[in-house]
Amino acid sequence: MSYLETIHLAADLVKSRLNGRQPLVGIILGSGLGKLADEIEDPIVIPYKEIPGFPVSTAIGHKGNFIVGTLAGKTVIAMQGRIHFYEGYGMNMCVLPTRVMVCLGIKYLFVSNAAGGTNLAYKVGDLMIIKDHINLLPNPLIGPNLDEFGPRFPDMTRPYDPALIRQAVKIASEEGIPLQRGVYVAVTGPSYETPAEYRYFRSIGADAVGMSTTPEVIVARHSSIPCFGISVITDVAHATDDDDYVTDGEAIVKAADSAADKMTVLFKRMIAEL
Amino acid sequence: MDPRIETINRLASLVKSRIGDRQPVLGIVLGSGLGSLANSIEDQVVIPYRELPEFPVSTAVGHKGNFIVGQLGGKTVIAMQGRIHYYEGYGMDQVVLPIRVMIGVGIKTLIVSNAAGGTNLAYHVGDLMIIRDHINLLPNPLIGPNFDDFGPRFPDMTRPYDPALIRLAVQVGDELGIKLHRGVYVGGTGPSYETPAEYKYFRTIGGDAVGMSTIPEVIVARHAGVPVFGISVITNEAHDDYADDFVNDGEDVVKAANAAAERMTGLITNMIERMSL
Repeated sequence: MSYLETIHLAADLVKSRLNGRQPLVGIILGSGLGKLADEIEDPIVIPYKEIPGFPVSTAIGHKGNFIVGTLAGKTVIAMQGRIHFYEGYGMNMCVLPTRVMVCLGIKYLFVSNAAGGTNLAYKVGDLMIIKDHINLLPNPLIGPNLDEFGPRFPDMTRPYDPALIRQAVKIASEEGIPLQRGVYVAVTGPSYETPAEYRYFRSIGADAVGMSTTPEVIVARHSSIPCFGISVITDVAHATDDDDYVTDGEAIVKAADSAADKMTVLFKRMIAEL
Repeated sequence: MDPRIETINRLASLVKSRIGDRQPVLGIVLGSGLGSLANSIEDQVVIPYRELPEFPVSTAVGHKGNFIVGQLGGKTVIAMQGRIHYYEGYGMDQVVLPIRVMIGVGIKTLIVSNAAGGTNLAYHVGDLMIIRDHINLLPNPLIGPNFDDFGPRFPDMTRPYDPALIRLAVQVGDELGIKLHRGVYVGGTGPSYETPAEYKYFRTIGGDAVGMSTIPEVIVARHAGVPVFGISVITNEAHDDYADDFVNDGEDVVKAANAAAERMTGLITNMIERMSL
Protein backbone atom coordinates (compact mmCIF):
# COMPACT_ATOMS: atom_id res chain seq x y z
CA MET A 1 0.00 0.00 0.00
CA SER A 2 1.30 3.47 -0.81
CA TYR A 3 1.79 6.05 1.91
CA LEU A 4 -1.03 8.10 0.44
CA GLU A 5 -3.37 5.11 0.67
CA THR A 6 -2.28 4.50 4.26
CA ILE A 7 -3.16 8.10 5.16
CA HIS A 8 -6.58 7.92 3.53
CA LEU A 9 -7.42 4.54 5.01
CA ALA A 10 -6.63 5.86 8.50
CA ALA A 11 -8.49 9.13 7.90
CA ASP A 12 -11.56 7.25 6.65
CA LEU A 13 -11.64 5.11 9.79
CA VAL A 14 -11.41 8.15 12.06
CA LYS A 15 -14.03 10.01 10.04
CA SER A 16 -16.41 7.06 10.31
CA ARG A 17 -16.30 7.36 14.11
CA LEU A 18 -17.09 11.08 14.33
CA ASN A 19 -20.88 11.00 13.78
CA GLY A 20 -20.58 13.87 11.35
CA ARG A 21 -18.57 16.15 13.61
CA GLN A 22 -16.12 18.40 11.80
CA PRO A 23 -13.01 19.30 13.85
CA LEU A 24 -11.85 22.89 13.42
CA VAL A 25 -8.67 22.63 15.47
CA GLY A 26 -6.07 19.88 15.77
CA ILE A 27 -4.25 19.78 19.09
CA ILE A 28 -1.08 17.80 19.82
CA LEU A 29 -0.52 17.29 23.52
CA GLY A 30 3.07 16.95 24.59
CA SER A 31 4.71 15.10 27.48
CA GLY A 32 2.96 15.86 30.75
CA LEU A 33 0.52 18.18 29.04
CA GLY A 34 -2.33 15.72 28.59
CA LYS A 35 -4.62 17.49 31.10
CA LEU A 36 -6.24 19.52 28.37
CA ALA A 37 -7.75 16.28 27.05
CA ASP A 38 -9.77 15.93 30.28
CA GLU A 39 -11.54 19.20 29.51
CA ILE A 40 -12.83 18.09 26.13
CA GLU A 41 -16.61 17.66 26.39
CA ASP A 42 -18.64 14.84 24.79
CA PRO A 43 -15.41 13.08 23.91
CA ILE A 44 -15.15 10.36 21.31
CA VAL A 45 -12.00 8.38 22.04
CA ILE A 46 -10.32 6.61 19.12
CA PRO A 47 -7.34 4.52 20.27
CA TYR A 48 -4.45 4.52 17.79
CA LYS A 49 -4.38 0.74 17.97
CA GLU A 50 -7.79 0.63 16.31
CA ILE A 51 -6.62 2.74 13.36
CA PRO A 52 -5.12 0.79 10.43
CA GLY A 53 -1.49 1.64 9.71
CA PHE A 54 -0.98 3.52 12.97
CA PRO A 55 2.05 2.92 15.13
CA VAL A 56 1.57 2.58 18.86
CA SER A 57 3.27 5.31 20.86
CA THR A 58 5.79 3.98 23.34
CA ALA A 59 6.84 7.16 25.12
CA ILE A 60 6.35 7.40 28.87
CA GLY A 61 3.35 9.51 29.84
CA HIS A 62 2.00 9.32 26.32
CA LYS A 63 -1.27 7.62 25.75
CA GLY A 64 -2.20 6.80 22.20
CA ASN A 65 -5.61 8.21 21.35
CA PHE A 66 -7.37 10.70 19.19
CA ILE A 67 -9.97 12.53 21.27
CA VAL A 68 -12.66 14.38 19.37
CA GLY A 69 -15.09 16.63 21.18
CA THR A 70 -15.96 20.17 22.17
CA LEU A 71 -13.50 22.57 23.76
CA ALA A 72 -14.36 26.20 24.42
CA GLY A 73 -17.33 25.85 22.12
CA LYS A 74 -15.36 24.51 19.15
CA THR A 75 -15.01 20.99 17.79
CA VAL A 76 -11.43 19.85 18.25
CA ILE A 77 -9.41 16.73 17.59
CA ALA A 78 -6.65 16.17 20.11
CA MET A 79 -3.75 13.77 19.86
CA GLN A 80 -3.21 12.29 23.29
CA GLY A 81 0.25 10.92 22.59
CA ARG A 82 2.42 11.67 19.60
CA ILE A 83 4.76 9.48 17.61
CA HIS A 84 8.43 10.29 18.18
CA PHE A 85 11.31 9.64 15.79
CA TYR A 86 13.42 8.35 18.69
CA GLU A 87 11.00 5.45 19.11
CA GLY A 88 12.44 4.09 15.88
CA TYR A 89 9.59 4.97 13.55
CA GLY A 90 10.27 6.47 10.15
CA MET A 91 9.32 10.08 9.54
CA ASN A 92 6.28 9.01 7.50
CA MET A 93 4.91 7.29 10.60
CA CYS A 94 5.79 10.22 12.89
CA VAL A 95 3.66 12.59 10.85
CA LEU A 96 0.87 10.16 9.91
CA PRO A 97 -1.51 11.40 12.67
CA THR A 98 -0.93 15.00 11.56
CA ARG A 99 -1.64 14.08 7.93
CA VAL A 100 -4.84 12.36 9.08
CA MET A 101 -5.95 15.50 10.93
CA VAL A 102 -5.25 17.53 7.79
CA CYS A 103 -7.44 15.09 5.83
CA LEU A 104 -10.21 15.57 8.39
CA GLY A 105 -10.20 19.25 7.50
CA ILE A 106 -8.67 21.01 10.51
CA LYS A 107 -8.13 24.73 9.95
CA TYR A 108 -5.60 25.27 12.76
CA LEU A 109 -2.95 23.17 14.47
CA PHE A 110 -1.98 23.77 18.09
CA VAL A 111 1.15 21.93 19.23
CA SER A 112 2.72 21.63 22.64
CA ASN A 113 5.82 20.00 24.02
CA ALA A 114 8.14 19.79 26.97
CA ALA A 115 11.53 21.30 26.21
CA GLY A 116 14.87 22.09 27.74
CA GLY A 117 15.68 25.76 28.09
CA THR A 118 18.89 26.72 26.32
CA ASN A 119 18.22 30.42 26.84
CA LEU A 120 19.94 31.32 30.11
CA ALA A 121 17.05 33.54 31.17
CA TYR A 122 14.56 30.66 31.08
CA LYS A 123 13.40 28.94 34.27
CA VAL A 124 11.74 25.59 34.83
CA GLY A 125 7.99 26.05 34.45
CA ASP A 126 8.23 28.90 31.94
CA LEU A 127 5.94 28.87 28.95
CA MET A 128 7.54 29.72 25.61
CA ILE A 129 5.59 30.65 22.51
CA ILE A 130 7.44 29.04 19.62
CA LYS A 131 8.06 31.92 17.23
CA ASP A 132 10.29 29.91 14.90
CA HIS A 133 12.20 26.64 14.76
CA ILE A 134 15.43 25.04 13.65
CA ASN A 135 14.86 21.51 12.38
CA LEU A 136 17.73 19.12 13.07
CA LEU A 137 15.51 16.07 12.58
CA PRO A 138 15.16 14.46 9.16
CA ASN A 139 12.73 16.45 7.03
CA PRO A 140 9.34 14.66 6.92
CA LEU A 141 8.75 15.76 3.31
CA ILE A 142 11.71 13.80 1.89
CA GLY A 143 10.38 11.38 -0.72
CA PRO A 144 7.93 11.76 -3.59
CA ASN A 145 5.78 14.83 -2.99
CA LEU A 146 2.17 14.31 -1.94
CA ASP A 147 0.74 16.83 -4.39
CA GLU A 148 -2.77 16.75 -2.93
CA PHE A 149 -1.36 18.05 0.38
CA GLY A 150 0.92 20.80 -0.90
CA PRO A 151 3.81 21.88 -3.11
CA ARG A 152 7.21 20.20 -3.59
CA PHE A 153 9.05 23.08 -1.93
CA PRO A 154 6.81 24.59 0.73
CA ASP A 155 7.63 28.03 2.03
CA MET A 156 8.66 28.22 5.69
CA THR A 157 8.82 32.00 6.05
CA ARG A 158 6.22 31.94 8.82
CA PRO A 159 6.07 28.44 10.32
CA TYR A 160 4.15 29.80 13.33
CA ASP A 161 1.22 32.08 12.59
CA PRO A 162 1.94 35.71 13.53
CA ALA A 163 -1.74 36.50 14.19
CA LEU A 164 -2.10 33.54 16.58
CA ILE A 165 1.08 34.61 18.37
CA ARG A 166 -0.27 38.15 18.82
CA GLN A 167 -3.54 36.74 20.13
CA ALA A 168 -1.67 34.55 22.62
CA VAL A 169 0.35 37.50 23.88
CA LYS A 170 -2.79 39.57 24.39
CA ILE A 171 -4.63 36.80 26.26
CA ALA A 172 -1.61 35.99 28.39
CA SER A 173 -1.24 39.58 29.47
CA GLU A 174 -4.95 39.71 30.39
CA GLU A 175 -4.63 36.48 32.39
CA GLY A 176 -1.34 37.47 33.98
CA ILE A 177 0.50 34.53 32.43
CA PRO A 178 4.17 35.32 31.77
CA LEU A 179 5.31 34.14 28.36
CA GLN A 180 8.68 33.81 26.67
CA ARG A 181 8.94 33.98 22.91
CA GLY A 182 11.67 31.86 21.42
CA VAL A 183 13.16 29.54 18.83
CA TYR A 184 12.69 25.77 19.28
CA VAL A 185 15.41 23.46 18.00
CA ALA A 186 14.36 19.88 17.33
CA VAL A 187 16.78 16.98 17.63
CA THR A 188 16.34 13.22 17.56
CA GLY A 189 17.17 12.38 21.17
CA PRO A 190 16.55 10.14 22.97
CA SER A 191 19.69 10.85 24.97
CA TYR A 192 19.43 14.25 26.58
CA GLU A 193 21.74 17.02 25.47
CA THR A 194 25.22 17.42 26.86
CA PRO A 195 26.27 20.80 28.27
CA ALA A 196 28.34 21.33 25.11
CA GLU A 197 25.31 20.60 22.97
CA TYR A 198 23.26 23.10 24.96
CA ARG A 199 25.91 25.72 24.27
CA TYR A 200 25.89 24.76 20.56
CA PHE A 201 22.11 25.14 20.33
CA ARG A 202 22.23 28.48 22.14
CA SER A 203 24.94 29.75 19.82
CA ILE A 204 22.93 28.92 16.67
CA GLY A 205 19.99 30.91 18.00
CA ALA A 206 17.85 28.41 19.87
CA ASP A 207 16.04 29.18 23.12
CA ALA A 208 14.68 25.71 23.81
CA VAL A 209 15.43 22.17 22.65
CA GLY A 210 13.21 19.13 22.30
CA MET A 211 12.62 15.91 20.38
CA SER A 212 9.37 16.53 18.50
CA THR A 213 7.03 19.13 17.02
CA THR A 214 8.95 20.40 13.96
CA PRO A 215 7.99 17.42 11.73
CA GLU A 216 4.32 17.96 12.57
CA VAL A 217 4.57 21.69 11.92
CA ILE A 218 6.39 21.19 8.60
CA VAL A 219 3.68 18.78 7.46
CA ALA A 220 0.91 21.15 8.57
CA ARG A 221 2.60 24.07 6.81
CA HIS A 222 2.97 21.89 3.70
CA SER A 223 -0.83 22.12 3.60
CA SER A 224 -0.81 25.82 4.62
CA ILE A 225 -2.48 25.13 7.99
CA PRO A 226 -1.71 27.96 10.46
CA CYS A 227 0.22 26.64 13.47
CA PHE A 228 0.55 27.76 17.05
CA GLY A 229 3.15 26.16 19.29
CA ILE A 230 4.03 26.26 22.95
CA SER A 231 6.91 24.74 24.87
CA VAL A 232 6.83 24.11 28.59
CA ILE A 233 10.35 24.51 29.89
CA THR A 234 10.91 21.41 32.03
CA ASP A 235 14.63 21.65 32.57
CA VAL A 236 17.39 24.18 32.27
CA ALA A 237 20.46 22.02 32.16
CA HIS A 238 22.26 24.76 30.33
CA ALA A 239 24.60 26.30 32.86
CA THR A 240 25.34 23.10 34.61
CA ASP A 241 28.86 21.91 34.04
CA ASP A 242 29.22 22.17 37.85
CA ASP A 243 30.33 18.91 39.40
CA ASP A 244 27.72 19.12 42.12
CA TYR A 245 24.72 19.95 39.95
CA VAL A 246 21.80 17.61 40.43
CA THR A 247 18.49 17.83 38.63
CA ASP A 248 15.69 18.16 41.19
CA GLY A 249 13.06 15.89 39.70
CA GLU A 250 10.29 16.75 42.11
CA ALA A 251 10.56 20.50 41.61
CA ILE A 252 10.51 19.97 37.86
CA VAL A 253 7.34 17.89 37.94
CA LYS A 254 5.63 20.53 40.10
CA ALA A 255 6.70 23.39 37.88
CA ALA A 256 5.70 21.58 34.71
CA ASP A 257 2.35 20.76 36.24
CA SER A 258 1.52 24.34 37.04
CA ALA A 259 2.79 25.40 33.62
CA ALA A 260 0.44 22.86 32.04
CA ASP A 261 -2.46 24.50 33.85
CA LYS A 262 -1.50 27.89 32.44
CA MET A 263 -1.12 26.40 28.98
CA THR A 264 -4.59 24.89 29.21
CA VAL A 265 -6.09 28.28 30.09
CA LEU A 266 -4.25 29.90 27.19
CA PHE A 267 -5.24 27.26 24.60
CA LYS A 268 -8.88 27.31 25.70
CA ARG A 269 -9.21 31.07 25.44
CA MET A 270 -7.41 31.16 22.10
CA ILE A 271 -9.68 28.44 20.72
CA ALA A 272 -12.77 30.21 22.08
CA GLU A 273 -11.75 33.34 20.13
CA LEU A 274 -10.99 31.59 16.82
CA MET B 1 33.04 -7.29 -6.12
CA ASP B 2 30.72 -4.81 -4.40
CA PRO B 3 27.52 -4.91 -6.50
CA ARG B 4 27.41 -1.12 -6.40
CA ILE B 5 30.76 -0.97 -8.22
CA GLU B 6 29.56 -3.51 -10.77
CA THR B 7 26.57 -1.25 -11.47
CA ILE B 8 28.80 1.81 -11.90
CA ASN B 9 31.18 -0.05 -14.24
CA ARG B 10 28.31 -1.49 -16.28
CA LEU B 11 26.70 1.97 -16.67
CA ALA B 12 30.03 3.63 -17.56
CA SER B 13 30.62 0.98 -20.25
CA LEU B 14 27.12 1.53 -21.57
CA VAL B 15 27.66 5.30 -21.84
CA LYS B 16 31.05 4.74 -23.52
CA SER B 17 29.46 2.39 -26.04
CA ARG B 18 27.04 5.14 -27.00
CA ILE B 19 29.67 7.83 -27.65
CA GLY B 20 32.12 5.96 -29.86
CA ASP B 21 35.72 7.11 -29.59
CA ARG B 22 34.95 10.38 -27.84
CA GLN B 23 36.59 10.84 -24.47
CA PRO B 24 34.83 13.36 -22.20
CA VAL B 25 37.36 15.27 -20.10
CA LEU B 26 34.91 17.53 -18.30
CA GLY B 27 31.74 16.68 -16.40
CA ILE B 28 29.12 19.37 -15.91
CA VAL B 29 26.10 19.17 -13.62
CA LEU B 30 23.54 21.53 -15.12
CA GLY B 31 21.61 22.71 -12.08
CA SER B 32 19.01 25.42 -12.01
CA GLY B 33 20.50 28.33 -13.93
CA LEU B 34 22.79 26.43 -16.25
CA GLY B 35 20.16 24.51 -18.17
CA SER B 36 20.58 26.62 -21.29
CA LEU B 37 24.24 25.64 -21.48
CA ALA B 38 23.00 22.31 -22.86
CA ASN B 39 21.95 24.15 -26.06
CA SER B 40 25.52 25.33 -26.61
CA ILE B 41 26.93 21.81 -26.69
CA GLU B 42 27.71 20.82 -30.30
CA ASP B 43 27.59 17.41 -32.00
CA GLN B 44 25.38 16.13 -29.20
CA VAL B 45 24.78 12.56 -28.21
CA VAL B 46 21.82 12.50 -25.81
CA ILE B 47 21.49 9.54 -23.47
CA PRO B 48 18.24 9.61 -21.46
CA TYR B 49 18.66 8.31 -17.91
CA ARG B 50 15.69 6.00 -18.47
CA GLU B 51 17.72 4.10 -21.07
CA LEU B 52 20.30 3.32 -18.39
CA PRO B 53 19.18 0.32 -16.33
CA GLU B 54 19.16 0.91 -12.54
CA PHE B 55 19.55 4.65 -13.07
CA PRO B 56 17.37 6.83 -10.83
CA VAL B 57 15.03 9.15 -12.69
CA SER B 58 14.93 12.77 -11.56
CA THR B 59 11.47 13.84 -10.40
CA ALA B 60 12.34 17.44 -9.59
CA VAL B 61 10.39 20.16 -11.34
CA GLY B 62 12.25 21.63 -14.32
CA HIS B 63 14.91 18.95 -14.25
CA LYS B 64 15.21 16.78 -17.31
CA GLY B 65 17.02 13.48 -17.10
CA ASN B 66 19.73 13.12 -19.75
CA PHE B 67 23.44 12.79 -20.19
CA ILE B 68 24.55 15.02 -23.06
CA VAL B 69 27.96 14.33 -24.60
CA GLY B 70 29.42 16.76 -27.10
CA GLN B 71 31.82 19.64 -27.77
CA LEU B 72 31.87 22.82 -25.70
CA GLY B 73 34.63 25.44 -25.73
CA GLY B 74 36.81 23.07 -27.74
CA LYS B 75 36.52 20.28 -25.15
CA THR B 76 34.62 17.03 -25.10
CA VAL B 77 32.18 17.31 -22.21
CA ILE B 78 29.58 15.13 -20.56
CA ALA B 79 26.75 17.13 -19.03
CA MET B 80 24.05 15.98 -16.65
CA GLN B 81 20.78 17.60 -17.65
CA GLY B 82 18.95 16.96 -14.40
CA ARG B 83 20.48 15.80 -11.15
CA ILE B 84 19.18 13.40 -8.55
CA HIS B 85 18.17 15.07 -5.28
CA TYR B 86 18.16 13.47 -1.86
CA TYR B 87 14.80 15.06 -1.06
CA GLU B 88 13.21 13.00 -3.83
CA GLY B 89 13.59 10.02 -1.53
CA TYR B 90 16.59 8.37 -3.18
CA GLY B 91 19.41 6.93 -1.11
CA MET B 92 22.77 8.67 -1.26
CA ASP B 93 24.22 5.87 -3.43
CA GLN B 94 21.65 6.76 -6.08
CA VAL B 95 22.08 10.51 -5.68
CA VAL B 96 25.78 10.26 -6.56
CA LEU B 97 25.54 7.40 -9.07
CA PRO B 98 25.64 9.71 -12.14
CA ILE B 99 28.80 11.37 -10.82
CA ARG B 100 30.48 8.00 -10.31
CA VAL B 101 29.46 7.00 -13.83
CA MET B 102 31.09 10.19 -15.19
CA ILE B 103 34.20 9.39 -13.20
CA GLY B 104 34.06 5.88 -14.69
CA VAL B 105 33.83 7.45 -18.13
CA GLY B 106 37.04 9.31 -17.36
CA ILE B 107 36.32 12.99 -16.63
CA LYS B 108 39.28 15.03 -15.35
CA THR B 109 37.32 17.97 -13.89
CA LEU B 110 33.78 18.54 -12.60
CA ILE B 111 31.71 21.72 -12.81
CA VAL B 112 28.61 21.95 -10.63
CA SER B 113 25.92 24.61 -10.44
CA ASN B 114 22.83 25.20 -8.36
CA ALA B 115 20.20 27.70 -7.28
CA ALA B 116 20.56 28.75 -3.65
CA GLY B 117 19.12 31.03 -1.01
CA GLY B 118 21.43 33.82 0.09
CA THR B 119 22.03 33.77 3.83
CA ASN B 120 24.71 36.44 3.53
CA LEU B 121 22.81 39.70 4.01
CA ALA B 122 24.91 41.40 1.32
CA TYR B 123 23.69 38.95 -1.34
CA HIS B 124 20.80 39.79 -3.65
CA VAL B 125 18.54 37.85 -5.96
CA GLY B 126 20.35 37.24 -9.24
CA ASP B 127 23.87 37.39 -7.76
CA LEU B 128 26.39 34.73 -8.67
CA MET B 129 28.52 33.10 -5.98
CA ILE B 130 31.64 31.05 -6.59
CA ILE B 131 31.49 28.21 -4.07
CA ARG B 132 34.81 28.46 -2.24
CA ASP B 133 33.91 25.92 0.44
CA HIS B 134 30.92 24.06 1.82
CA ILE B 135 29.30 22.82 5.02
CA ASN B 136 27.58 19.46 4.56
CA LEU B 137 24.36 18.99 6.52
CA LEU B 138 23.23 16.17 4.23
CA PRO B 139 24.16 12.55 4.93
CA ASN B 140 27.70 11.82 3.73
CA PRO B 141 27.61 9.88 0.43
CA LEU B 142 30.74 7.90 1.34
CA ILE B 143 29.10 6.11 4.27
CA GLY B 144 29.36 2.37 3.68
CA PRO B 145 32.15 0.08 2.52
CA ASN B 146 34.81 2.18 0.78
CA PHE B 147 35.17 2.00 -3.00
CA ASP B 148 38.94 1.51 -3.03
CA ASP B 149 39.01 1.76 -6.84
CA PHE B 150 37.71 5.31 -6.58
CA GLY B 151 39.60 6.68 -3.59
CA PRO B 152 40.69 6.35 0.02
CA ARG B 153 38.55 5.55 3.08
CA PHE B 154 39.14 9.03 4.54
CA PRO B 155 39.42 11.49 1.67
CA ASP B 156 40.93 14.89 2.36
CA MET B 157 38.56 17.87 2.09
CA THR B 158 41.08 20.65 2.57
CA ARG B 159 40.32 22.07 -0.88
CA PRO B 160 36.91 20.81 -1.98
CA TYR B 161 36.84 23.50 -4.69
CA ASP B 162 39.93 23.87 -6.83
CA PRO B 163 41.86 27.10 -6.08
CA ALA B 164 43.23 27.36 -9.64
CA LEU B 165 39.72 27.09 -11.13
CA ILE B 166 38.45 29.72 -8.66
CA ARG B 167 41.28 32.06 -9.76
CA LEU B 168 40.37 31.41 -13.41
CA ALA B 169 36.72 32.26 -12.70
CA VAL B 170 37.68 35.50 -10.96
CA GLN B 171 39.87 36.47 -13.90
CA VAL B 172 37.18 35.67 -16.46
CA GLY B 173 34.58 37.45 -14.32
CA ASP B 174 36.78 40.57 -14.26
CA GLU B 175 37.26 40.51 -18.01
CA LEU B 176 33.57 40.00 -18.78
CA GLY B 177 32.40 42.45 -16.13
CA ILE B 178 30.51 39.76 -14.22
CA LYS B 179 30.26 40.43 -10.49
CA LEU B 180 31.05 37.34 -8.45
CA HIS B 181 30.78 36.66 -4.74
CA ARG B 182 32.97 34.04 -3.16
CA GLY B 183 31.18 32.17 -0.40
CA VAL B 184 30.40 29.06 1.58
CA TYR B 185 27.52 26.82 0.47
CA VAL B 186 25.50 24.97 3.11
CA GLY B 187 23.75 21.83 1.87
CA GLY B 188 20.57 20.80 3.71
CA THR B 189 18.07 18.13 2.73
CA GLY B 190 15.02 20.26 2.06
CA PRO B 191 12.48 19.97 0.54
CA SER B 192 10.72 22.51 2.75
CA TYR B 193 12.46 25.85 2.49
CA GLU B 194 14.37 27.23 5.44
CA THR B 195 12.72 29.05 8.32
CA PRO B 196 14.07 32.49 9.29
CA ALA B 197 15.69 30.88 12.36
CA GLU B 198 17.40 28.32 10.15
CA TYR B 199 18.75 31.06 7.88
CA LYS B 200 20.21 32.78 10.91
CA TYR B 201 21.71 29.47 12.06
CA PHE B 202 23.37 28.91 8.69
CA ARG B 203 24.77 32.43 8.70
CA THR B 204 26.03 31.97 12.25
CA ILE B 205 28.00 28.88 11.32
CA GLY B 206 29.56 30.59 8.31
CA GLY B 207 27.21 29.83 5.41
CA ASP B 208 26.68 32.44 2.71
CA ALA B 209 24.14 30.46 0.70
CA VAL B 210 21.98 27.40 1.32
CA GLY B 211 20.64 24.77 -1.04
CA MET B 212 19.57 21.14 -1.34
CA SER B 213 22.17 19.57 -3.61
CA THR B 214 25.75 19.72 -4.92
CA ILE B 215 27.76 18.69 -1.87
CA PRO B 216 27.26 14.91 -2.23
CA GLU B 217 28.45 15.20 -5.84
CA VAL B 218 31.48 17.24 -4.83
CA ILE B 219 32.45 14.83 -2.04
CA VAL B 220 32.30 11.87 -4.44
CA ALA B 221 34.36 13.71 -7.06
CA ARG B 222 36.96 14.72 -4.47
CA HIS B 223 37.01 11.12 -3.22
CA ALA B 224 38.34 10.24 -6.67
CA GLY B 225 40.71 13.24 -6.76
CA VAL B 226 38.71 15.05 -9.46
CA PRO B 227 39.08 18.87 -9.22
CA VAL B 228 35.77 20.70 -8.83
CA PHE B 229 34.45 24.15 -9.68
CA GLY B 230 31.08 25.19 -8.24
CA ILE B 231 28.80 28.15 -8.70
CA SER B 232 25.47 29.19 -7.14
CA VAL B 233 22.88 31.57 -8.49
CA ILE B 234 21.14 33.36 -5.62
CA THR B 235 17.41 33.00 -6.22
CA ASN B 236 16.08 34.25 -2.91
CA GLU B 237 17.26 36.32 0.00
CA ALA B 238 17.27 35.04 3.54
CA HIS B 239 15.75 37.40 6.03
CA ASP B 240 15.74 36.67 9.77
CA ASP B 241 12.60 38.60 10.48
CA TYR B 242 10.04 39.06 7.77
CA ALA B 243 7.51 41.83 8.08
CA ASP B 244 3.92 40.57 8.28
CA ASP B 245 3.27 41.86 4.78
CA PHE B 246 6.40 40.32 3.22
CA VAL B 247 5.62 38.40 0.06
CA ASN B 248 8.04 36.27 -1.90
CA ASP B 249 7.56 37.66 -5.40
CA GLY B 250 7.97 34.58 -7.55
CA GLU B 251 7.99 36.47 -10.83
CA ASP B 252 10.83 38.79 -9.83
CA VAL B 253 12.83 35.80 -8.68
CA VAL B 254 12.39 33.98 -11.98
CA LYS B 255 13.37 37.10 -13.93
CA ALA B 256 16.49 37.69 -11.88
CA ALA B 257 17.46 34.02 -12.05
CA ASN B 258 17.09 34.02 -15.83
CA ALA B 259 19.27 37.10 -16.18
CA ALA B 260 21.84 35.49 -13.90
CA ALA B 261 21.70 32.29 -15.94
CA GLU B 262 22.95 34.15 -19.01
CA ARG B 263 25.92 35.54 -17.09
CA MET B 264 26.62 32.14 -15.59
CA THR B 265 26.56 30.47 -18.99
CA GLY B 266 28.97 33.11 -20.39
CA LEU B 267 31.33 32.67 -17.48
CA ILE B 268 31.41 28.88 -17.64
CA THR B 269 31.77 28.72 -21.44
CA ASN B 270 34.67 31.16 -21.31
CA MET B 271 36.31 29.22 -18.49
CA ILE B 272 36.05 25.94 -20.38
CA GLU B 273 37.72 27.50 -23.44
CA ARG B 274 40.71 28.42 -21.29
CA MET B 275 41.03 25.19 -19.33
CA SER B 276 43.93 22.96 -20.21
CA LEU B 277 42.52 19.47 -19.88
